[in-house]
Amino acid sequence: MNADSRPPAPPATFDALLARLRAAAPRAAGGDARGAAPGERAVSADSPDAPLPGDHLDLRAVPPDADRVAVFTAAATAVGVTVHRAARQAWVPVVLAVLEKLGARRILLEAADHTAFRAAEAEALAAALRAAGREPLVRPDDDTLFDGVDAAVAGVTAALAETGTLVTATGPQTARGTSLVPPALVALVDPAQIVGDLLEYFADPRLGATLPANVNLITGPSKTADIEGVLVTGVHGPGHVHCVLC
Amino acid sequence: MSVADFREQLAAGTRAARVVAAVHQATWRKVAQREAALAALPHAGALRDRAAQIRAHVVAHLPDYLEQFVAQATARGAQVHFAPDADAAVRLITALAVQRGLRLAVKGKSMTSEEIHLNAALERAGLRVVETDLGEFIVQLDRDRPSHIITPIIHKDRRQVAEALVRELGCRYTEDPTELSLIARRHLREIFRRCDLGITGVNFAVAETGTLVLCTNEGNGRMCVSRPRVHVALLGIEKIIPRLVDLPVLLKLIARSSTGQALGAYTTLITGPKRPDDSDGPAELHIVLLDNGRSTILAGPHREVLRCIRCGACLNACPVYRNVGGHAYASVYPGPIGSVLSPLLDGPSHADLPRASSLCGACLEACPVKIDIPHLLVALRAEHRARRPLSRRIGLRLWAWAMQRPWLYRLGQRVLRRIVRDDGDGFARHGPGPLGLWTAGRDLRRPPARSFRELWHTELRDER
Repeated sequence: MNADSRPPAPPATFDALLARLRAAAPRAAGGDARGAAPGERAVSADSPDAPLPGDHLDLRAVPPDADRVAVFTAAATAVGVTVHRAARQAWVPVVLAVLEKLGARRILLEAADHTAFRAAEAEALAAALRAAGREPLVRPDDDTLFDGVDAAVAGVTAALAETGTLVTATGPQTARGTSLVPPALVALVDPAQIVGDLLEYFADPRLGATLPANVNLITGPSKTADIEGVLVTGVHGPGHVHCVLC
Repeated sequence: MSVADFREQLAAGTRAARVVAAVHQATWRKVAQREAALAALPHAGALRDRAAQIRAHVVAHLPDYLEQFVAQATARGAQVHFAPDADAAVRLITALAVQRGLRLAVKGKSMTSEEIHLNAALERAGLRVVETDLGEFIVQLDRDRPSHIITPIIHKDRRQVAEALVRELGCRYTEDPTELSLIARRHLREIFRRCDLGITGVNFAVAETGTLVLCTNEGNGRMCVSRPRVHVALLGIEKIIPRLVDLPVLLKLIARSSTGQALGAYTTLITGPKRPDDSDGPAELHIVLLDNGRSTILAGPHREVLRCIRCGACLNACPVYRNVGGHAYASVYPGPIGSVLSPLLDGPSHADLPRASSLCGACLEACPVKIDIPHLLVALRAEHRARRPLSRRIGLRLWAWAMQRPWLYRLGQRVLRRIVRDDGDGFARHGPGPLGLWTAGRDLRRPPARSFRELWHTELRDER
């Protein structure tokens, strides 16, 4: 583009845009070496589904034989998640102790079949909470969610070892607000749910076809460093995130 | 922006010592955090190569992936609109809101929405628009502009944040960042309860599944895409990536490059609106595909810039940005990437920005998708050579002429040594005669008492 020439009028429709981009593509692929990374395919006519160069590289952060629980625990702790270990049959007292420490009185329980926190676990926890004089809540309305919940207990669909990430997905049993609105989140994670890293998680070929409306990769508490770079947690999402491995 | 405007902005920027100190501290910290995060990342070099390759591939095959993205997003229930330019995007979004009777819009941090100046238009249409990212919220309270694409208030210190919150919200004065953040949290929480329109940008859009990806830290972005009944996502056409398997490559680099985190607190994948049996979430998802000059860039020789994932690493690494701050660029996108993008998106008004660089190469070294920003800056400078002031064209020609004649060059050195007076610190800020044109925008180092040639002839040669 010359400094004096006027830029061409923008394409008015999506089809016009595609036509302009297609017209530009061969020229771009031929004459302009800097636009293309080394090894890039030079033509645009081939299918978008064809493999990209570099697809074969194994760039995973966590080797398959690594102790994923240990890697996850270290990474989650580093980003501000408190990780607890519990025996399979003895997780209730651990969760109760966490909630006690948080000072939570009204606790949202969100059971989901695809997680380690199913209906049976929710019932067991609800009974224990009632016995301790606490108030378990299921599917609270908006006002209760915003003002009347001190903590949420839920499961996850997966966890990522490298980054200490908890993965939640929305669905008929799982709401967007659960891991977002209450000031504290307690997540039950089965160690078998821990995958190595993002690359391993997204390599699952079933993922694309089964994506729910929202998947959230939660890495530590809500945070900001907007004011002079000082780390502040609990801005809009939960300031306290606990993970109980059981 | 004219050269004079830039110079004025520059002077205003460098005068504000508080701003310079804040930006220096923040950018150096971010550089250290990025370097530490990448040093700890296994296969960091190979991941950068992959990321560059994926983004370059998308730029080269954009029409195919755009078509696939639109088909997939539509199949999953999103409504996709196309906006040729900023005006069209603003009209489209405003009409959407007005037709549905929406009153209260919450916004996630989006540079693309800054690019089209969306807020003012929505407000004229009668909506209340609230920025919900803490930094953007303060910018909005102060009627200011963001000065960094990731850290909007990098130019403000805690006192300025406190003053804004006290003045606008009537809260108690405090300079504690935690308390200040909680004051904003309480205020915005009520707004999140009542809002009916959420407006966000998009970090990545996956062609294979029609998925939008948002990378955030505070949780306000998640509020914006789960509380209101309508979500409008503003998507620059270049933000597409081919497949879900390409996403982790970019996710591994974006937070490390921008904030030094291995991953931001929230990475949200949005695939269509609320499903029929979901208990919460927006009933409508509108994706506004924005061209606004991007297709023109793609058709030209500088299309490499479209690889950019807006991580902000080049801003933090840039010695010019560090010293003048984001506002001096007087464009939506500041820093090295802004000096390339803004002239290409906005045309002649930003044609001088490519000169706001020492071409040191720190931006290229920092870029996770390996955009050769220095090369692009030089190319853009060459395109606008005709715009150089006559005085500089004559001056540079004289310089080149003298450089080819050693005797004349030596004579020039001697003359300069006589006439350039520094301010006591080795730098001259007011050059004599025509040199004053040069020093109006730059500090000139006082020539040394003896040139290297002179040293060589008298001392150094004997020491061989």
